[in-house]
Amino acid sequence: MDVALVGFGTVGQGVAEAIATKNHVLEQSLGDKVRIVAAFDSSTYAVDKSGLDPLDLVKRKAAKGKLGKVRKDSIAEMLKALDYDTLVEMTPTNIKDAQPGLSHIRAALGKGRDVITSNKGPLALKFRELANLAEKNECELRFEASVGGATPVINMARELLVCERICSIRGIMNGTCNFILSRMESEGIPYEPALREAQQMGFAEADPSYDIDGIDSACKAAILANAIMGLDITVHDVERTGIRGINLDAVNLAMQERKVVRLIGEVTSRGAEVSPRLIPRGHPLSISGTLNLFHIRTDLAGEITVAGRGAGRYETASAVMADIYTVMKLRRSIGQRD
Amino acid sequence: MRVNVDLRLKDVPGQLIRALEPVSRNGGNIVGVVHRHDQISAGRIGVNLTFDVPSEKVLEKVQAEWSGAEVDLMRIENIFETYPLEYVIVGDVSAAEMKRITEGIQALGQVESIDVKYSISSSKDKAAHISGKVRDRDIIKKSNKFMRERAKRSGFVIIRGFGD
Ligand SMILES: NC(=O)c1ccc[n+]([C@@H]2O[C@H](COP(=O)([O-])OP(=O)(O)OC[C@H]3O[C@@H](n4cnc5c(N)ncnc54)[C@H](OP(=O)(O)O)[C@@H]3O)[C@@H](O)[C@H]2O)c1
Repeated sequence: MDVALVGFGTVGQGVAEAIATKNHVLEQSLGDKVRIVAAFDSSTYAVDKSGLDPLDLVKRKAAKGKLGKVRKDSIAEMLKALDYDTLVEMTPTNIKDAQPGLSHIRAALGKGRDVITSNKGPLALKFRELANLAEKNECELRFEASVGGATPVINMARELLVCERICSIRGIMNGTCNFILSRMESEGIPYEPALREAQQMGFAEADPSYDIDGIDSACKAAILANAIMGLDITVHDVERTGIRGINLDAVNLAMQERKVVRLIGEVTSRGAEVSPRLIPRGHPLSISGTLNLFHIRTDLAGEITVAGRGAGRYETASAVMADIYTVMKLRRSIGQRD
Repeated sequence: MRVNVDLRLKDVPGQLIRALEPVSRNGGNIVGVVHRHDQISAGRIGVNLTFDVPSEKVLEKVQAEWSGAEVDLMRIENIFETYPLEYVIVGDVSAAEMKRITEGIQALGQVESIDVKYSISSSKDKAAHISGKVRDRDIIKKSNKFMRERAKRSGFVIIRGFGD
């Protein structure tokens, strides 16, 4: 399968490395390999119909900060002209207008190409438009990496739990907030120093509002609501309260009741919400640290919990690779049918 | 509605069935039966029965059938199912604000109990824990809405319980 990688930062480079190390698994299992025919960062690109060496791209990016030639046209325009099977979109999440990812995904789906993305912006703002476009042009739109990093919540809910009625999904959807709340509770560190610790350890951005005001969790809750509950909402429809303002007194009062404070994203057929909640100690959602965790209630299976690393170069690449595998498998079964 | 009763039956085989049948025949659901062997008097034995019935009318029918079947009703009590209500609020937790909050929740009706606990700290931003029990699940939703409105107006943060 020929892929175009758009966005070559943490995730993009992790995916290139994973392609290099896991191509033999794909070949053994599916009789086909992934070939990178194009790669883009914000200003440069490399294209080769016969395939680019993934590790060479990573080395080049690390050494020179660029992938190749300076780009003159927009990536969306170039994606219309290029020859590839699947776009892997990994540019930064933008929840103002979802660009540039939205144009990239529209260009690929519009041309009947499959799309795999880790980018939350287009999915949190234009989910239904993109899902409809994919359906109309009979292509795949897959986005496991966009929610929960390595945690396989979307594909599990949509594929393995396909016969279930999913009543609710509640989750720890942001590792930074969970780290801060866990530190406050286990070490008695006040909110501000706990946040600074998260920043020093590289979890939280210099401007942490995207995490601590619950915006990141709200994007994920909106994606889950659309993808799993069949709703048609955007991140702006998610009722949202973050963890700003939560102090040690509150955490201690919760502890006296044998509870912990956690920022919980909650999705039901009625909508989505992100808010701090009092979770009984011992409940799966009382988990400490930076992991993401999803607690799903269904009619037949009852309760199912899945947890994993919510971010990271290889962790996120793991979810992208799972989608690559599925797209290759689907393409193969369509090829066998034809 | 859930009901708990103390009954007295003749201490001979087959009597328990005469006590239980009217409940199930009328669409009730038996939740628990406890024999009170310690309460035998004048050849009659005590039984404590807990069951759900759809309405007061059905309960009256059950009672009528018991009296026709020589089952004596000694005591009857309605048991309300309760749902927990819980918040931690952070910020302005002055006595006046807490009074507004607890009175506001009580005004929603069906509130069985409500308790408030304050944090003991020297920091200026304090916290308080509010817990209670309500007899109707819908009240939790109404209370959540009320708390959100109060939080907006008074500028405190709410951490909500997990029972809703
Ligand atoms: N990092 C994670 O652990 C993680 C986990 C789950 C989901 N995600 C999502 O995955 C996406 C990528 O994350 P990341 O951590 O890899 O981000 P990143 O390290 O900032 O990399 C972003 C890449 O996109 C490129 N880019 C930026 N603006 C662009 C533009 N206008 N047009 C084309 N390319 C552009 C950057 O180019 P330059 O290299 O030239 O700067 C860079 O290669 C984001 O949407 C993020 O939310 C990330």
